[in-house]
Amino acid sequence: MKLFFYKSILIFCLFLLAFHFSFGYASKKISSLINEKLSKDSIQILKDKIKDELKTAVEKENYIKPDDAKLLNKFLNKIKSDLEKNK
Amino acid sequence: MKLNFNKQKNTYLLLFFYLLLLSFAFYSLQDAGIHIEEKFHRLNGLYWLSYVSEVLGFSNLHDISSEKASEISDFSLSSVILYNKYGIIFDLPTAFLEIFLGINDIKSVYYLKHFLSFSIFLLSSFAFYKILIKRYNNFLLSFVGTSLFITTPRIFGDSFFYKDVLFLSFLTFTIYFLLKYLKKNSLKNLILFSLFTAFSVNLRIFSILIPFLFCFIIIIKSFQTNEYRENIKKILIYLIFFFVSIFIFWPYLWASPINNFIDLFLSLNKDLIDVKILYNQNYISNRTLPNGYLLNWLIISSPILQNLLFLMGYFFYSIRLLNRYFKINENSVYNDLWRGHREETDFIFFLFLSSFYLLFLVFNAPLYNGWRLVYFMNFFMIYFSINILNLILIRFQKKSNLFTLLKIFLIILVTYNYYAIIKYHPYQSLYFNNFLSEKKINGFEGDYYGISSKDFFEKISKIDDDNEIKIAVASHTPLYRGLEALELKERSKFIIVGQEYEMAKYIYKNNISEVDSILNKKYEVPKNFSKIYEKKIGKLTIYEIFKKN
Repeated sequence: MKLFFYKSILIFCLFLLAFHFSFGYASKKISSLINEKLSKDSIQILKDKIKDELKTAVEKENYIKPDDAKLLNKFLNKIKSDLEKNK
Repeated sequence: MKLNFNKQKNTYLLLFFYLLLLSFAFYSLQDAGIHIEEKFHRLNGLYWLSYVSEVLGFSNLHDISSEKASEISDFSLSSVILYNKYGIIFDLPTAFLEIFLGINDIKSVYYLKHFLSFSIFLLSSFAFYKILIKRYNNFLLSFVGTSLFITTPRIFGDSFFYKDVLFLSFLTFTIYFLLKYLKKNSLKNLILFSLFTAFSVNLRIFSILIPFLFCFIIIIKSFQTNEYRENIKKILIYLIFFFVSIFIFWPYLWASPINNFIDLFLSLNKDLIDVKILYNQNYISNRTLPNGYLLNWLIISSPILQNLLFLMGYFFYSIRLLNRYFKINENSVYNDLWRGHREETDFIFFLFLSSFYLLFLVFNAPLYNGWRLVYFMNFFMIYFSINILNLILIRFQKKSNLFTLLKIFLIILVTYNYYAIIKYHPYQSLYFNNFLSEKKINGFEGDYYGISSKDFFEKISKIDDDNEIKIAVASHTPLYRGLEALELKERSKFIIVGQEYEMAKYIYKNNISEVDSILNKKYEVPKNFSKIYEKKIGKLTIYEIFKKN
């Protein structure tokens, strides 16, 4: 009885530690990553960056290179005509 | 009757030591400011005093306490009804004292509480001394242990704030009565042990672990003595007295004992603080602390020698226990986890420290402001430091040169703590080891309690004669509450404008923030303000003052 009790206690403690340093550790790491990347402050930073980028785009005379602009124009026209055809 | 001074010199030395500490505390009491949670604790005490006096039919006391509680208002303070689960062991008696002694100056109420808190801490240190003297039968070691127990800088500084060190004090009494009970096996000590367990649970809910640990110890003892029925009876008596004491001393449970007791645990997840904390120069969530958080804080904010002794003491005892574990024999009483009362004491300290540490680790306890919430561990840490010193002492006892060397080491060990206490005064609760760089030290949370607020207001008073001074706060610290440490006429000239920096003439800044201050610019000082003063102790910046250009 005595030996069984002591062995059970040791196994219980080892199990707790093993659980904590494997599954517990991984789940904490993921939570911490989510917390960090999706925090209110991080999202605000991202929003601010997008706004800054839009402002820069508006202020620049030519934001897109002429070649790219032509290609985009062709692509949009193509989409538009396809959509018209299949109305 | 003739007094034998030589025989009683240890008693006189102890008496002198305690008188010295009390005098120091008494004369330097008002050097530190009021901490940010004092207002809540006063409100908590008066709220429950009003409830208890109403239930017991003391209408006069009920009226006075209700009136006093209703006068406490603060835009930054949540209603006590939302946080009514907090313990009342200290708050309620001090609220009663406030009324009984007729203290109307709030500042005096707070400083009286500081003094009482420190006195309880000193009493608990005497209980610790008694544990040590019974275990080692050596005055020198017991005295050194008691000195370290009191003078560990962060513990000493916090002992005035009736929060975490108050719990340490009650836990010390609890373990003292547990050990006394295990040695004497008397009903009186069992009842006292259950009473102090209830007090400890009242102060910190996680000490609900103590009854489980007690049952565990009694089960092991049953294997040694084969008195199973007798021991089950003891456990039952303990549990009955424990639950009765919990009920009596926790008015929150009076209305619905079982439901409210369960609610204490159910609401834990909801009520626990969820903030960003500054740790190792980064802001991290206190809900996902790294595994090394606690150990790192212990190492960087406790004296180095003390840390080394503790680690050695704990390591040596662990090895000894493992040896004993693998030699356990089903049929032999001598081959067990301990042999005799002294080893039993070692085992209990090991069991408590390891279990609490494991509990905090496995349940990802959302700690904040360093290791403040687990300051009670210092009690166990000092015990293991003394344990290793005892082993060294036994080895060196016959070698007079080495024995003298050990004595010098003990003097250095204790003297360093006194030096740190004087150097950091009154900010001992912000102590850091010197081996860290200035950048590293300031990359950890500092003055969470806002005890520097008094010094800040006094400094502003010296440099500015205006009758109205607007102050903004670039920190999560509710600076407004610190005003209560000033004289009434001094308080009125300060107007705290929060984070409305443009309205302010001065800005108070420390490194306490509930948001990630690297990303969130909430606490960024505007460019039209310049730093005019910095309060530093050693390498630690306590606070900074900025003035509008």
